[in-house]
Amino acid sequence: MDKVVNIRINGRHIRARTGQTVLEAARAAGIDIPSLCHHPSVKPIGACRICVVEIERQRGLQTACTFPVFEGMRVETESEKVVEERKFVLQMLFSEGNHYCPFCEASGDCELQALAYRYGLDHWTYVHPDEAKPVDGTRQYFIMDYNRCILCRRCIRACSELAANHTLGVKFRGAKTIVCADGGVPFGSSSCVNCGTCLQICPTGALIDRVSAYGGRESQTERTPSVCLFCSVGCGSEIVTRAGRILRIEGDWEEHNHGVLCERGRFLPFQETRRRIETPLLRREGTLQPVSWEEALEALAQAIRNTPEKKVGAWTTCRTLNLTLSEFVAVFLGKVGANVGVLELTLARFKLPMGGSLKDLLAADTILVTGADPLSDHPVIGYHIKRACMHNGAKLIVFSDNHHSMSRFADRTFPLAEMEKAVKICQESAVPVVLYGEETPPDQAEKLAVLQRKAHFIPLFPASNGFHAKALGLRATFDPTSMDTVYLLVEDTELSEEKIRQARKAKFLAVHATFHSPLTEVADCVLPALLWCEHEGSLYNLEGKKVAVRRAVPLPEGMIPENEVLTQLAALL
Amino acid sequence: MSKIRIATDWLAACAGCHMSLLDMDERLIQLLERIEITSSPITDLKHPPRDGVTVGILTGAINTTTHIQVARLMRERCQILVSLGDCSVLGGVPLMRNHFDLEEALRRAYVETESTVDGIIPRSEELGRPIPARPLNQVVKVDVYLPGCPPSPEAIHYVLDELLEGRRPVLKDPFLKYD
Repeated sequence: MDKVVNIRINGRHIRARTGQTVLEAARAAGIDIPSLCHHPSVKPIGACRICVVEIERQRGLQTACTFPVFEGMRVETESEKVVEERKFVLQMLFSEGNHYCPFCEASGDCELQALAYRYGLDHWTYVHPDEAKPVDGTRQYFIMDYNRCILCRRCIRACSELAANHTLGVKFRGAKTIVCADGGVPFGSSSCVNCGTCLQICPTGALIDRVSAYGGRESQTERTPSVCLFCSVGCGSEIVTRAGRILRIEGDWEEHNHGVLCERGRFLPFQETRRRIETPLLRREGTLQPVSWEEALEALAQAIRNTPEKKVGAWTTCRTLNLTLSEFVAVFLGKVGANVGVLELTLARFKLPMGGSLKDLLAADTILVTGADPLSDHPVIGYHIKRACMHNGAKLIVFSDNHHSMSRFADRTFPLAEMEKAVKICQESAVPVVLYGEETPPDQAEKLAVLQRKAHFIPLFPASNGFHAKALGLRATFDPTSMDTVYLLVEDTELSEEKIRQARKAKFLAVHATFHSPLTEVADCVLPALLWCEHEGSLYNLEGKKVAVRRAVPLPEGMIPENEVLTQLAALL
Repeated sequence: MSKIRIATDWLAACAGCHMSLLDMDERLIQLLERIEITSSPITDLKHPPRDGVTVGILTGAINTTTHIQVARLMRERCQILVSLGDCSVLGGVPLMRNHFDLEEALRRAYVETESTVDGIIPRSEELGRPIPARPLNQVVKVDVYLPGCPPSPEAIHYVLDELLEGRRPVLKDPFLKYD
C-alpha cells in the first residue's frame, strides 16, 4: 500500500510515503515546519496558513498540512517568500481580537505567541478592533474568551472527530466569525458533554480551565503519565501538577482513548467535597478515635484471629490496583481462609471472549451493545461508538429493555430477549464488535457465543480493574450478614444504605476507605486509603492490557498504600 | 568622540519600563561613558532639548491629548525613536480601557475604587483630555520597537548597544518577550 515517494525539502532528499502530507513527511525527517491550526489527532484543514511552503511548479504558496507528497516534488520551507508570508499571516492573526500576552492565561504556553517570537514580531502592523466580544462563562468547568480565539477550529474538529459530539461550529461571517455551540446557544445550555477535549486542544488562551488557570506555566509544572481510575476503559491520562498540587488532568493523545477523557475523569475529581480520612481510627467507648497504624492493625488482626475462618468476610472494590487485589486474595483467602469477594460485578457469569480494543471498535462495520449503557457509564467508549457510526458508517445495534442513551444513534434497538436477531446481523457483517455488560441475561449471552470466531468482544466491566478481579476469580458475593468479622476495602467508592446495614451486623467491622462516609461512621476500625492520584502500580483496562498507574503527588504523611497495609496485617496473623 | 545624546519620557505607563532601565545597574555607568542622558521623567530636566538628541525613548501608551504632544515633541527632537515596553509598542494594559465607555472607566478609576473616599474625576484643562488608548506608532513614526512588560534590562542594554554600534537591533529570543 504505502509506496516510497522521493521528495526534496530544502534541497535535502527525503523518502516519504504515499498519502503523507508535506508536513508529515518533513516532521518525520526532523524538518520543522511551523503549524497552528494543525493537530496530529484531528484532520488537517489548512485554516491558519502558517505552515505555507513553496512547492516547485505550484501556483502560490501551499499549506504543508494539507498538501500530499508526490514523486520528485521540491519544497522550500523557510525561503524569503515563505517567511514573509508567515509574518503577514501572524500580523493578520494578531490584528483580530485581544492577543495581549501580559494578561493572558496562556502566555508562555501559547502556540500563537511562540510563533510570533519565532518570526520576530516586535510590533503589530495592523490596527486591531477596540470592540470586545463577550466572554462565555456559562460552562461549569471552563470559560470561552472569544477575544483570544484565532478560529483555528481545532476545538470544533476535536468535538466532532474525537468526541463525536458535533456540538461546536462557527457562526457569522468574515471578521465577525465566532465559534458557537449548537448553532448559537450559550455553551452551558448546549449539547456539550463536558469531555473537555476542546479545552485540551486549544492552542491559545481562548478556552480557560477554571481550576488550573494562572496556576502555572508548562515549564513550571510536572506531567505524570498515568491511567484514569474512574471506569474500566482505563484512559491514558497525564496528571499536571505544580509543587504537589494537581492543576488539571489531560488525556494522553498516544493512548487508546486518543486524548479524550470524560467529565468524570477530567473534571469531577476537582469537585470532591468528601472529608479525607487522615489517620487510622478505632472505636473506643462508642466513638471513633485516632490511633496508630500498629494499634489499628493489631485490633483488626485480633478480631480475625478470634473469629473462626468461616465467619470472616472480606470484600474489596474492583477499583483497586493489581498488587492490592493480589495481596487481598493472598491474605484473606490464602492465609485466613475467609469468605472473599468484590463489591462490584465482574461479568463473571459470562463465558464470552474478551480482548477487543477501541481500535477494533473504530474499524467495525457492525457494533452490538448489550446489557450496558456506555455513553453514560463508559463515556469514552460511547464516544468511540459514535465515531464509528457517524464517521465510518458502522451499524449500531442496541439491546436494552429500558431507556438507553445510545438508542438515538442506533440503527436498530431490540429488547434483550431477541438476541438471535443480532447474531444474524453480526454474522452477515464483515467486522462486528460486541460490547457486553452485566445487564445481559446469561441465557441471551450464550447466543452470542456463536460469534466467538468472527467478532471482537469488549467486556464493559462496571469497575476499573474488573478485568483483573475476574481473572483472580473474585465474584460479587457480598453477604456479610452471617459474618462475625468483616473487612471492607472500599477506597473512594460508596456502599448503599442497605449494604451498610448488612455489613453492620458483624461483630467487628473494619473499613479501609479514602473518605469519611456513612459506612465509616458505623465501623469499629477505619483504615485510611489512598486518593486516585496517589496510587502507584498497575491495572488491566477493559482491553485486557496491563497499564501503569503512577503517583502524581507525594503521599500525605502517615499514609500507607493498601497493599502494604495488607502485608503488614498478614504479618500479625 | 562626543557622547551620543539620549532623551527619554513616559506616557501612559506604570514606570516599570524605566525601573527596568535603571536595573541595568553598573552597565548604566559603563553606558554613560558613551551616552549622555539629557532628560528623563526621573531627572530635573523633563523635556528633550531644543537642539535635539540622537535617540529618543518613549514608554507607555497614548491615552490623553497631552501624550500626543509629548510624543510629537520627542519625535521632532530625536533622530531615532525607540518605542519601549508593551504599552508603547502594543497598547498594553491601558488598551483594556477601550473595551469600556470612557466615562465609565474614569468613574471606576477615580470614584468607585474600593479604597477611594469622596473621589473626583480630574478635569483640569492642564491635564489634557482623555482619548481612546493606542500604541505610540499610531501617533508618530517609530524606528525601533522593544516590547516586554517590562523589557528586561538585558534587552534594553542590547538595543542601546546595537544602536551605539550603528546597527538596527533585531530582537530574538531571549530579548523578544511580550510579558
